[in-house]
Amino acid sequence: MAKESKGFQAFRYIFLVLSSVFVLIPIVPLIYMAFKTGAEYTETSVLTPPKNWFNMYNFAYAIRVGNLGKALITTVVVLAISLTLQILFTTMAAYVLHRFEFKMKKIVTSLFTLTMFIPLVTTQTVVFQIMYKLKLVSTIWSVIILYSGVGCVGLYIMFNLLDSISKELDEAALVDGANYFTIFHKIIFPLLKPACTTLLILNGISYYNDFYIPNLYLRKDVRTFTVALYKFFGNTATPFEIVAAAILIGIIPIGIVYIFMQKYIFYAMAGAVKS
Amino acid sequence: MKLKKILALALTAAMTLSLAGCGGDSGNADDAGKTENAGPAESSDESDEEGGETAEDVDISSLAGTTISVYTHGGNRVLGEEKKDENGNTYRDESYAYLKHVAERFTEETGINVELNVVTDESEIEPLFKVEDSSVDVYTPPNWSLEQWAAYAEPYCTIEEAVEMYGDYAYAMPKDDTYIYNIMIGKAYDQCVVYNEEAIKSVGYDEIPGTLDEFNEMCAKLRDAGITPISMHRVENWPLSTINDFACYVAGDSTAFSGMLKSDTPFSESDPFGKTIKMYTQWKADGFFEPEVYTDFGVAMDSVAYGKAAMMLFGSWVVPQIQGRVPDGTDPSIIKFAPAPDFGAGRYVLAAPADGFSISKFSENKEAARAFIEYLADDAQFSADSGNIANKKGVEPVVPELYAIIDSMVESGEVQVMMKPANDENMQNNQAVLSEANLWADNNYAGLLFDAMDVTKPDDWSAYDAQVEAQNKLYVDYRDELGVSWVD
Repeated sequence: MAKESKGFQAFRYIFLVLSSVFVLIPIVPLIYMAFKTGAEYTETSVLTPPKNWFNMYNFAYAIRVGNLGKALITTVVVLAISLTLQILFTTMAAYVLHRFEFKMKKIVTSLFTLTMFIPLVTTQTVVFQIMYKLKLVSTIWSVIILYSGVGCVGLYIMFNLLDSISKELDEAALVDGANYFTIFHKIIFPLLKPACTTLLILNGISYYNDFYIPNLYLRKDVRTFTVALYKFFGNTATPFEIVAAAILIGIIPIGIVYIFMQKYIFYAMAGAVKS
Repeated sequence: MKLKKILALALTAAMTLSLAGCGGDSGNADDAGKTENAGPAESSDESDEEGGETAEDVDISSLAGTTISVYTHGGNRVLGEEKKDENGNTYRDESYAYLKHVAERFTEETGINVELNVVTDESEIEPLFKVEDSSVDVYTPPNWSLEQWAAYAEPYCTIEEAVEMYGDYAYAMPKDDTYIYNIMIGKAYDQCVVYNEEAIKSVGYDEIPGTLDEFNEMCAKLRDAGITPISMHRVENWPLSTINDFACYVAGDSTAFSGMLKSDTPFSESDPFGKTIKMYTQWKADGFFEPEVYTDFGVAMDSVAYGKAAMMLFGSWVVPQIQGRVPDGTDPSIIKFAPAPDFGAGRYVLAAPADGFSISKFSENKEAARAFIEYLADDAQFSADSGNIANKKGVEPVVPELYAIIDSMVESGEVQVMMKPANDENMQNNQAVLSEANLWADNNYAGLLFDAMDVTKPDDWSAYDAQVEAQNKLYVDYRDELGVSWVD
């Protein structure tokens, strides 16, 4: 491999430093804001650091008034149930669509792909009515059901890995007397774990951040974190220093996930791109 | 190598965190109004054909134990006004939670429970109306079309009944040919000058000047003194809707806004609306509005409360909110309310109905909901605390102090009261034309001209003039396409 010239190396570092600055700049005022008093926020520029870095008032206020603890628990419950169900359904669907030949298989697979081209909001008028008839609006089950569905991206991530799992494994197990459920349960599913991790991370972050669905379906006291955050926004006035503190609180769980799972996040991003 | 790793980690962390910030699309798939139930609504089972039972028809005691849900965007009246404590931290002063207090008294007296819900925007509850959900009983008004009112609101009463209770103010309430859909329990002056007395005193003025030239002169002095003359909160378009009413003052005619229908050049300076918006944009060009972008209206109100800005051009509703935000130890009455200057056609104030409440068409507690609204209408202090004057017949009004200046000027004849025009055919046709021309939503009819102003240099108005021409053409094209015209 040809050695990189010093000039190019310098350019690469400058580019990376500038990219980092560019990405981090919006986060810096957010951190500043969270530690400022309301008066300080009104009177100073967003790029002025707070006078007191130990001012925890906004955090305490956000947790108490916004009921953020309860919202975080609700979010965790919604994510835990829906991601578990989604992984189960996605792996099963992928296994069937990948390994078996049946009539209209191509059409079924195409239908999954088609969903990628339908904007979510266009379907929600009807979906909301269905959820309402099922008496699921204002319960976490409406969101869980919507999050648990098999998505096209998840399916292709599974297909990608299934391609590398030899069909001979399935056939050998069949010869040994295993049924399809046992093959899926004992052989395929354990081998799909890396793809499941990818899906878990990608959709976990996406659902954690989602506002549209929970805001539409969850009302009154049942709120996910993003909806609880939105409740700080008034029709005209919003205490942004409190909102900033609430956002930082919201970043903590995802930050912890990042610290402990960074290896998998890198893999997930790379795997998703490859898929 | 280490630096590379750190950069990679920082970028990935930032990417993860930025993902944490992109919480999906909040877009409201706003297909509102596309209901099959357009036109005058038929009364539902609970209400008679005259538009519903009046409070007097129902034995309130039989409703004890009922719980009604009230939805409002007025968070300050439920949670209290946002104030700053001695350390500068934000807190809610619950003594300003007037709606909460009156709801508690109502529950004590009637046994009807009131659950207050604050929404950022009433469009949040529209999905519930679309599935005919009964969980909303009372709500404060969004900026709805007549079709939406008819589809989602219970007719409160007939127009005749409303006129009997609220006088001519009833005609300006949301209504069709027969029914009122949104009863407005108070009256107020729409669009005057809300100002910080200490700020204008600092440049030598005791009151808002009477003429436009003098007003502009004062604004220039304020600007030169480092005080923002007018806090506009232009980052959003809704504050520009006040221009509609200011156009009435410019023309000396309360129908100036709907009067756009009469003209082929409604956005040009030769017409009242065009003249008004040009006046606003000229103020902007002269540096009379805030140079920085206020992140939200709360900060804009704070700027006046703290004297960083001198004035706002809004109705009386904003006065108690700014007064509630003055720094601790400052007399809230430094925030005053005065008529706009004479823009050439005289000095006016626009009297309008205020503080609307509606009953959901799908409510299962319509009697209790009506009893609550009537209770609010009977509470003159509630209206006064909200910056309005109780307007129901038989209720002794409590006039808030903020009206003192205007009332004395009206009494002396310096200022004339102009009645807000009826929500009539002309008004609806003008709205229809603007909607068809894609100028109505988000007050684009004014917002686009302001945006054009942003690229106009103070001595070069070509971008602004081009936008005026474009809007004139759009307006006339769609007016002709709809086949509507001014009806005398």
